[in-house]
Amino acid sequence: MRAGFEVGQGALELIQPHEQWNYNNTLGAYVTTTTTSSSDNGFSAYNSKPAVNLERPNELSEWVEHVTKTLIEDLPESTHEDSFQTEANMPSYAHVSPRMCETRPRKMARVDWSDEVQFAHDRGNNGLSLITLLFECAVAISVDNLGEAHRMVLELTQMASPYAPSCGERVVAYFAKAMTSRVVNSWLGVCSPLTNHKLIHGAFQVFNNISPFVKFAHFTSNQAILEAFQRRDRVHILDLDIMQGLQWPALFHILATRVEGPPYVRMTGMGTSMELLVETGKQLSNFAKRLGMSFEFHPVVKKFGDVVDLSVLQIRRGDAIAIHWLQHSLYDATGTDWKTMRLLQELNPRIITLVEQDISNGGSFLDRFVSSLHYYSAVFDSLGAFLPNDDNNRHRVEHTLIHREINNMLAVGGPGRSGDDKYRVWRSELRRNRFLQVPMSSNSLAQAQLILNMFPLTHGYSLVQEDGTLRLGWKETALYTASAWTCHISR
Amino acid sequence: MSISRSSNMRMIPFTPPHHKPSHKRPRAPSWAMRAQKSICKFDQTITSWLHETSKPHTHPLPFNILSSSSLSISKFFQSPLKTRHSYSHSHDAIYRSHESLLCLVVMDALFRLVTHQKQHHPHSFNSTSRTSNSSSSKSSHFTTYPQHYQYNHHHHQDQYHHHHQDQDQDQEECFNFFMDEEDFSSSSSHHHQPPYHHHQPPYHHQSSNTPTPTTSTTTTTPPPFSHYAFSSSDHQQSSDPNINYSYSPARDITMEYSNSFSTNTWATDLLTDAARAVADKNSNKLQQLMWMLNEVSSPYGDTDQKLSSYFLQALFSRMTESGERSYRTLSSASEKMCSFESTRKLVLKFQEVSPWTTFGHVASNGAIMEAFDGEAKLHIIDISNTFCTQWPTLLEAIATRTDETPHLRLTTVIATRSDGGDGVQKVMKEIGTRMEKFARLMGVPFKFNVIHHTGDLSDLNFDHLKIEDDEAIAINLNGTLHSVNTHRRDYLISTFRGLNPKIITIVEEEADLDIGTNGFEFVEGFKECLRWFRVYFSALDENFPKTSNERLMLERAAGRAVMDLVACSPVESVERRETAVKWSARLHGSGFRSVSYSDEVCDDVRALLRRYKEGWLMSSPEMMTGMFLTWKETPVVWASAWKMV
Repeated sequence: MRAGFEVGQGALELIQPHEQWNYNNTLGAYVTTTTTSSSDNGFSAYNSKPAVNLERPNELSEWVEHVTKTLIEDLPESTHEDSFQTEANMPSYAHVSPRMCETRPRKMARVDWSDEVQFAHDRGNNGLSLITLLFECAVAISVDNLGEAHRMVLELTQMASPYAPSCGERVVAYFAKAMTSRVVNSWLGVCSPLTNHKLIHGAFQVFNNISPFVKFAHFTSNQAILEAFQRRDRVHILDLDIMQGLQWPALFHILATRVEGPPYVRMTGMGTSMELLVETGKQLSNFAKRLGMSFEFHPVVKKFGDVVDLSVLQIRRGDAIAIHWLQHSLYDATGTDWKTMRLLQELNPRIITLVEQDISNGGSFLDRFVSSLHYYSAVFDSLGAFLPNDDNNRHRVEHTLIHREINNMLAVGGPGRSGDDKYRVWRSELRRNRFLQVPMSSNSLAQAQLILNMFPLTHGYSLVQEDGTLRLGWKETALYTASAWTCHISR
Repeated sequence: MSISRSSNMRMIPFTPPHHKPSHKRPRAPSWAMRAQKSICKFDQTITSWLHETSKPHTHPLPFNILSSSSLSISKFFQSPLKTRHSYSHSHDAIYRSHESLLCLVVMDALFRLVTHQKQHHPHSFNSTSRTSNSSSSKSSHFTTYPQHYQYNHHHHQDQYHHHHQDQDQDQEECFNFFMDEEDFSSSSSHHHQPPYHHHQPPYHHQSSNTPTPTTSTTTTTPPPFSHYAFSSSDHQQSSDPNINYSYSPARDITMEYSNSFSTNTWATDLLTDAARAVADKNSNKLQQLMWMLNEVSSPYGDTDQKLSSYFLQALFSRMTESGERSYRTLSSASEKMCSFESTRKLVLKFQEVSPWTTFGHVASNGAIMEAFDGEAKLHIIDISNTFCTQWPTLLEAIATRTDETPHLRLTTVIATRSDGGDGVQKVMKEIGTRMEKFARLMGVPFKFNVIHHTGDLSDLNFDHLKIEDDEAIAINLNGTLHSVNTHRRDYLISTFRGLNPKIITIVEEEADLDIGTNGFEFVEGFKECLRWFRVYFSALDENFPKTSNERLMLERAAGRAVMDLVACSPVESVERRETAVKWSARLHGSGFRSVSYSDEVCDDVRALLRRYKEGWLMSSPEMMTGMFLTWKETPVVWASAWKMV
């Protein structure tokens, strides 16, 4: 952990020390209601059931879905809006909890466990109690019962290991860690992120090597951009979060060898550190030079949404503009969403390539918790499917990237942690703002298929072409969706 | 509220690619092939790119992160198995057919082995299997015993030619008293360099050159905080209606510490300042520091991240006045996870990779054996936290004593602060059974007893020990004295005189963790805690693989200790370690004199240390009692032996 921390920017406020958190009082009342009732109604009955097998991929996500449905259906709608720090509101939580516990075993019984009966009870019950505790902890956080939540995360952090053979246990370990952060943040009343971009970039590169998700994003977008640039000899690529520019050499390679000859390529790379951007620019220029292609690189240290003066983007009249945006939840790369949208309209790009995570980054804490548990379980399963338990690259990706995303998802204010409202799905927002969708071509599909073929050991990845988009997922869970958009009616 | 509302939970009808009819699969056009080539090409570019950036660093081990880790991993998994396997066929008599049992021998074989090994089998094998082989001819009929035994196998063995070799080897074998077949894969890995035997994870190499973070580049200098005092209500989150969250970080403090992050010990800087803020009751500064620590810490990251994670956890509990409760939660959760299996794995792995515990065992056993010389009825009062891993070696030494084999009573006292679950009791029961079996096999008349004591050790009623008049008594205190209340330590030591022990052996970690509750004393104590746990964590870091669960268990135990020290009242504390000087003063004060270790014992300890990685040394400073285990020149464990004046 070294140089390169960026401090998230958002609504500036005075750090106000919270009013004293009356830990003991809160707990005194809660321990009796919550814990006792859960062990009476739910826990004991639970443990005698056949166990969840966390070892098997997808088992976890299926189970999570069943349980979360119950859990969320049973939570009174009003729970989130109520105020929870006062004593008067305690009964509402005490009321929720027993109901939750009653329903859980019922739900459990619907899952078909028949082939799991012989599975070792120790381990299964351990996995089961871990997840149960994780859910209880999430509920406690959602009603701002920080004291009880803290007790539960402490317990979880003693029980779940991020190095475990079971992907489920790893997921729980990282969720527990993220909830620990969340509890501290809530107590402090400060939730802005502190980001070490260098660490993230390094791990992102490893992620690029060990799983197809990043390459999928890069190559499908490249294909759409290539097609949009057809017969254009002056092109400008705007990368909203360029990082190390991993995806562009591949595009350069194709552009340099296309039938009508290479275009003049201008590129604007946006990021948070001039030093890192300049380094990226240097590498890309070298690459373009080797291909004999005319290339200009403009580093811009700004979030796209914060751009006021368009001239910093170095756009030239007549250039065909491609805007590329690979979304993630690692940090807030683009700033305020409505400003980003306005700029996209102003720039009038020939193509926008958008890769979104199929996860809701808005909504209440519990919504985010459930959807990210579902989503990241699938990501962990996909990494665990062909990398050994003690693989250091796997650990690095899980710890530096995925853990960070989970952390942001569960943080106050969601992934951006900026206090801004974020769009849930950018695709629908683009459509609403009169952008036209450019269907992903069959060539893009072929690209994606090629990338999956580079991972021959696993058959868990699923690729789907649907409504003009391309989706890559793990088993039944969609993880990344690539789409392309344009302003040009003529297309 | 229903789940189907959130768009991402929708099930998408995916068709896995392998279910598609093959003719439908898109053919790769030539440009696509080129693209694929460029993927590979670019990966190479990146590799060379990383190399370029890491070249200027003067790190002793420049690391190729893209290739060497996978290499080490394949080594990790394959080589040891192969080595063993090729060797197995001729020794079916003692090995089970399963290949992972190759190095296991029934207990009885051991007895034969320790007495006959050298004479009968002069030919040498590679170190992994030499000892097992030698016992093959004798042991096949002992297979009815369920207990297994795995030989330790250290690669330093070759360089070790010493007249104590026999004895030494015996000891080594006994360390693995608990070993079962599952340990095979994990324990065998140490023949090879762990993938990262370096203090720092490799991904730091590329960034370590950057002197300062780029915090300020994206942001304009913020006006003073007071300008924003009233803006909080604009940005409330719907999900958290009652709390006015600040999305603005304490930017000035980030700047203040920006230089710290480029050093190797930023956690110490941040945490020390946080402790000062606690002492000064500067809640504003503490809040900012805790925010930073919360953002950068992780119990699964590097040493600094781990330190900041565990200390932040303790500080947080202290600030929310929930220290005692948090400690109880942590202890009972870890107790719940405790099983014989997990304990066994943990203890063995720790012994395998570092001499942290074995150092004390060898030193104490040596002193006890010498004190028991010529005695016929022995009674060891074992007040320690070592799960009897110390004793197999001693039993063996007793069995091979030249005079008649004496009777041995072993009374192990397990002291716990509160009446927790039955995890430890179960573990001790299993260990007792194994100890008795082992003693039977060794031919030592043996009686084992466990006393579970709840509360402070100084309240232990010695009548429970059922000491008989004609017994020679040894009191073994390994890592337990520091769990006694600081005000009761002198008392406890003085009561030992009443037992009339032949010898008292003491092993303690060398730190001064009597942390004060407030003010200056708190800050100074906190700093010493930080120093101590940094040494401990970095020793673990360099000796364990990065993703070791055993290491995680040890770190979590250290995290509980931090919670005890920083967030709990001293009266309840069980972690307040003292230095050798202080312990010595207490013992002298109670009428004990220090016994110096014989040359033989010192040789044994040195021989032990040679088996581990470089960095471990023994030292016995002139003016000090006992001897120290040092890690990179820092004394970490102190062993000493005492007799009544």
